[in-house]
Amino acid sequence: MPEIRVTPLGAGQDVGRSCILVSIGGKNVMLDCGMHMGFSDDRRFPDFSYITRNGRLTDFLDCVIISHFHLDHCGALPYFSEMVGYDGPIYMTQPTQAICPILLEDYRKIAVDKKGEANFFTSQMIKDCMKKVVAVHLHQTVQVDDELEIKAYYAGHVLGAAMFQIKVGSESVVYTGDYNMTPDRHLGAAWIDKCRPNLLITESTYATTIRDSKRCRERDFLKKVHETVERGGKVLIPVFALGRAQELCILLETFWERMDLKAPIYFSTGLTEKANHYYKLFIPWTNQKIRKTFVQRNMFEFKHIKAFDRAFADSPGPMVRSGLRGPARLGPCLQVVFATPGMLHAGQSLQIFRKWAGSERNMVIMPGYCVQGTVGHKILSGQRKLEMEGRQVLEVKMQVEYMSFSAHADAKGIMQLVGQAEPENVLLVHGEAKKMEFLKQKIEQEFRVSCYMPANGETVTLSTSPSIPVGISLGLLKREMAQGLLPDAKKPRLLHGTLIMKDSNFRLVSSEQALKELGLAEHQLRFTCRVHLHDTRKEQETALRVYSHLKSVLKDHCVQHLPDGSVTVESILIQAAAHSEDPSTKVLLVSWTYQDEELGSYLTSLLKKGLPQAS
Amino acid sequence: MDPECSRLLPALCAVLVDPRQPVADDTCLEKLLDWFKTVTEAGPSLLLLQENPCLVELLFRVLKAHDPRPRVLSFSLRLAGLFAAQEDCFQYLQVTPSSSVSQQGELLPMLFGESGPLGGAAWTAPTVRSGWLQGLRSLAQHPGALRFLADCGAVDTIFSLQGDSSLFVASAAGQLLVHILALAMRGPAEGHPSPQGCDWPACAQKIVCHVEDSLRSTATLQVTQALNVLTTTFGHCHSPWTQGLWVRLSPLVACLLEKDPIPASHSLVDLLLSVARSPVGSSDCGLWETLAQTLSHLSPTQAGPLALGILKLQDCPQALKTQAFGVLLQPLACVLKAAAQAPGPPGFPEGATGDSITVDTFLSSKSACVGLLCQALAHLELLQLLPQRPSPWPQAPLLRAAVAILRFCHGSAAPTSDVGGHLCAVLAGCVRVQRAALDFLGTLSQGTGSEEGLPGHTQVAPGLPQGPQLLRPGPPHPAVPRRYPWPLQELLPVLRKRLCSPCWEARDSGLEFLTQVTRHWGGQAAFRHALLASEVPELTGQLLRDPESYVRASAVTATGQLSSWGLYATPTGPEHPEVQQESLFTELLHILSTDSEGFPRRAVMHVFTQWLKDGHADVAEDLEQFVARVLQAASQDLDWEVRAQGLELALVFLEQLLGQPGSRCPYAVALPEAAPPATLAQVLQALCRVQLFEFALRALFDCDRPVAQKSCDLLLFLKAKATPCGGPQEAGASPDVVSVEAALQRWQAGEQGQPLGELEPEAVMAVLRSMDLEGLRGMLAKSSDHMEKSPQSLLQDMLATVGVLGENEADCY
Repeated sequence: MPEIRVTPLGAGQDVGRSCILVSIGGKNVMLDCGMHMGFSDDRRFPDFSYITRNGRLTDFLDCVIISHFHLDHCGALPYFSEMVGYDGPIYMTQPTQAICPILLEDYRKIAVDKKGEANFFTSQMIKDCMKKVVAVHLHQTVQVDDELEIKAYYAGHVLGAAMFQIKVGSESVVYTGDYNMTPDRHLGAAWIDKCRPNLLITESTYATTIRDSKRCRERDFLKKVHETVERGGKVLIPVFALGRAQELCILLETFWERMDLKAPIYFSTGLTEKANHYYKLFIPWTNQKIRKTFVQRNMFEFKHIKAFDRAFADSPGPMVRSGLRGPARLGPCLQVVFATPGMLHAGQSLQIFRKWAGSERNMVIMPGYCVQGTVGHKILSGQRKLEMEGRQVLEVKMQVEYMSFSAHADAKGIMQLVGQAEPENVLLVHGEAKKMEFLKQKIEQEFRVSCYMPANGETVTLSTSPSIPVGISLGLLKREMAQGLLPDAKKPRLLHGTLIMKDSNFRLVSSEQALKELGLAEHQLRFTCRVHLHDTRKEQETALRVYSHLKSVLKDHCVQHLPDGSVTVESILIQAAAHSEDPSTKVLLVSWTYQDEELGSYLTSLLKKGLPQAS
Repeated sequence: MDPECSRLLPALCAVLVDPRQPVADDTCLEKLLDWFKTVTEAGPSLLLLQENPCLVELLFRVLKAHDPRPRVLSFSLRLAGLFAAQEDCFQYLQVTPSSSVSQQGELLPMLFGESGPLGGAAWTAPTVRSGWLQGLRSLAQHPGALRFLADCGAVDTIFSLQGDSSLFVASAAGQLLVHILALAMRGPAEGHPSPQGCDWPACAQKIVCHVEDSLRSTATLQVTQALNVLTTTFGHCHSPWTQGLWVRLSPLVACLLEKDPIPASHSLVDLLLSVARSPVGSSDCGLWETLAQTLSHLSPTQAGPLALGILKLQDCPQALKTQAFGVLLQPLACVLKAAAQAPGPPGFPEGATGDSITVDTFLSSKSACVGLLCQALAHLELLQLLPQRPSPWPQAPLLRAAVAILRFCHGSAAPTSDVGGHLCAVLAGCVRVQRAALDFLGTLSQGTGSEEGLPGHTQVAPGLPQGPQLLRPGPPHPAVPRRYPWPLQELLPVLRKRLCSPCWEARDSGLEFLTQVTRHWGGQAAFRHALLASEVPELTGQLLRDPESYVRASAVTATGQLSSWGLYATPTGPEHPEVQQESLFTELLHILSTDSEGFPRRAVMHVFTQWLKDGHADVAEDLEQFVARVLQAASQDLDWEVRAQGLELALVFLEQLLGQPGSRCPYAVALPEAAPPATLAQVLQALCRVQLFEFALRALFDCDRPVAQKSCDLLLFLKAKATPCGGPQEAGASPDVVSVEAALQRWQAGEQGQPLGELEPEAVMAVLRSMDLEGLRGMLAKSSDHMEKSPQSLLQDMLATVGVLGENEADCY
């Protein structure tokens, strides 16, 4: 029995690093290759030793598919391809291909900066890894090899995020990656057609939550920023270079425009240019509103958001002297700053935080999740006295706000997607065990399908009943058409023919064509049977009696009495003969073809009962 | 343990056992265990438990909980294992009275015995089973632990966990068995126990009997488990008892070879190679026979890894090596045979003639054919690089085979046989095989084999880099040989085409290729002539303005390399009249100051540093001016790697002025350790003129640690060179250090924007002498988040998340 096997190496009952192995139709595919930002040793990467023990990695694995550019989905990719040694194809969408290296580079710099880590992938490795990437378009079926094909669907979540259908023959699996079923400020909602996969692997981050409107969260965010600016305070928003940063930029830009605010917004490290360049480039991936209006005004051409210069962080007030880049010039006052990295664990954002933390007027807004061991995590958990190097204590007086902009489908959205795709089975990943348990029951009840939630390292095996595609010959189809029956996709019906299996191909043809193609002679197979009747009359008369009897019984069939005295019913032939030893007994020789097997058997049993007495 | 941690621990333990408090972050418990591991390794665990009774309390309370959370339960099992690794602590935990009167009992049996989680609902969670195994793994360090394992029936549970649904649990179970076996055989049993096992300890006997049963099993999974356990055993344990073990088990392993198909062939190969590499291998002649037998029984695809493994062995009979080499060559022999126009031997050593089994594999399916060829090529590529590769090495037929494969892929082969026709159909356009063949060809060309085969190589070469599918990531393809010059008149047009490709990958690889080639052949007249006559240098110059930053960076490196060899002329195209008169230095400096991306700017810094080292003409023209302009641009860069590279360049400059740091070569002419004062004064003046001091001192307080570290190293070097000779200040002048110190204080406070102005060398040196640079270096050597990573910080974080977690927990990127 063919089977589909799924083993999460990451994202099995956790929200760490996504990495799921799928075996389907003899093909092995890795879905995402993420990194856990909470660890700084080998544990940050999935344990690939479970694949490498199967011999050469490139021989074992047919392809790697990356759903989107977040590091918990692609962060281990350069490690996997350049250090572990995978040399096969890597598939992702074009925006992911463009943005992925920026984030990887950003993270590499932080890792090296922070810890001086030597055993980390280099810039060159990121580039070499990206050269192995094959970009896929939405809804384009990509043939990985003769048997394996993949297709991308829009997933919302972040720019370029995609769900992937993986198909081998008639078996298929859909992997959602992270997705969002409600459109947001710059992206549309996830969508998939009724592809009825054998298995749907879906994320379940918000398995038990019905999320409140994002609009409310956005209003809160804008209100807080505005109030702080109004009272002369500074706002620090630590972000990662891409993704959420752009969403917040659109939000602030629109608000600034509407309220006619003058305070400039700065974005650190000069990454905006490239990021915004990509957002402009991939307009087709954004939502309908942005797509419609971008000709008049591109949403990603920000008027109020400017590149940030290092010296600005020192600015005590408006219009101060700034000594960087060329001749001395006047620099503006910093009030709202986006700075990387997003968890306040190193570099620019941490430096600005240290400078601004002491004033109650200032505010830091954390728009994303922070792992333990970062300053971001500490202040979010309410710690206000942070121990710094050399026994110094940094007192955090600035306001600390958390604002979730995470764009995942909530419980309702997940159910909606399951309903859309109509899978035979569902498998939950990227969520917490307890919440998954709840959703699992809900899915099983509502859709009457099996739902699985393997932990990391656990393998789920699904038996599939394969449907084998068979080609039908034109002749056979024409013959069916001639009978006046037009093909109808909604009404499957039985078709008789001869199945030819040749070169792993299956074809249904008429028996005549089969004989011709295979060069075979036709043989008729007839069943024969002798029925003894007590009848003293002559053979001809017996035959006539048989004819009359059958004519009266088998009204729907063509019963004939042939000149040679034999009787036929369809292909069945009945002849009467005298018994060699007993003249009072006649022998009826009945023969029929295998096509009329049913009628032949019926006739024999009928004749065995004897003929009715002549009236 | 740190007193502050000790103070926080009771509160944390209380949180962990409270089912209403969610555990903060899935990494926290892991990090907590890391910390306990270092603590228990550093000192007596018993004392730790006695001083922190909350820990034992925690273990008791987790056990008693009605519905323990799997993660906390798993954590507790692992924690108990860490403590029980020390025998006295193990005894203590065996019969531990808890501080609470209501909680007494034998803690370890309750945790690891049948009355513990083993029988509970929590056992269904893989993390609990994994924690149970890891706990036992830590605990099993002493004879007492062995008795404990026997008493609580743990070994049988481990046997069953070998077949666990979780890969992680199953693998941990196998490894634990090996660990227990080794522990059992340690001590009294160590030596040469009899193969029959009558004198083996009961625990070891039990494990070996289980392995024997598994090897006899008809279920492949069980055979695999047994083979994996043995592979790990022979890989890790090299004591004499392993010989007895092999004597006992080898007949059973040999029996596996008689089955058809051979079960768990992959694991079998691993085991045989593991035994062959261990001391057992050298003493057992039967092993070589088994290996030979296995080679002939396995399918070509299965036999490949074994053959490579055999050829890597140090001591191995020649006959077996020949057989193994034959196995690796078979697929290529088949290819040569299929491609041959006239019948004849492929030219490989005897035994590799393209046997029918390999042909059958080729014909069975496309994926089998592609897989086998790729595997063979990869194995031969690896082998070629090893010192123990077979000799003589059949360089010529291998080259012919690689070329034949490429022709099949290219569609230019004209096969006459059925197999050839099949290969044509299967390999046409197959990128995977093409890549493997190219890699192999590249490695072959680096080999020390004879030069025959060159014609085939050069014939195929021009066709290679054309299709975009043949792009190789990273450095130019090694198929570009060092020993065999390519036909330049054919190569350069291809390169030109790639530099104009719409794919950035192609342009980038082309530039990387050019850099590499120029590095090797830049001095050769034929190459120089051909290159200068081509459009390639001009195109390279144009790519300095490529829209893709990766390409711009590679173009910078390439032009830098070309310029070093005098092969670069500034582009004079009509579309860029503004840069017509500029030197490359000016152009690269412009990139350094204005490019919005880090890659090109970093590449410029690398080129400049290299130029400085090599004494490039543009540099030598006005050294100080060069250094000053580069440092000024680098110091203002937002990318810390550019700033760090700037310091690297500054160090090269310093070295050139003052001599190499720490040069103690015994054969070198004895150089003075420190520069003589007169020179030093001049040097310091020069450093002031190029504003190196301002750059370095400012960098000392850079928010990015590597920059500060580099600057610290540089200043320490300068200090070491300057100090022994006294310094200019001893001449009588008293330098004005106030302004320098004030600036340093401002920078230290993070006010980077304030310039320093004119500097007095004496003042700088005085400040340097007064600074504790060694102390600063020590501080910078720690990671910038070492405070956040401390155990104290971890405990604080875990406690702080209590109560506030609800609102943030579900979020993630």
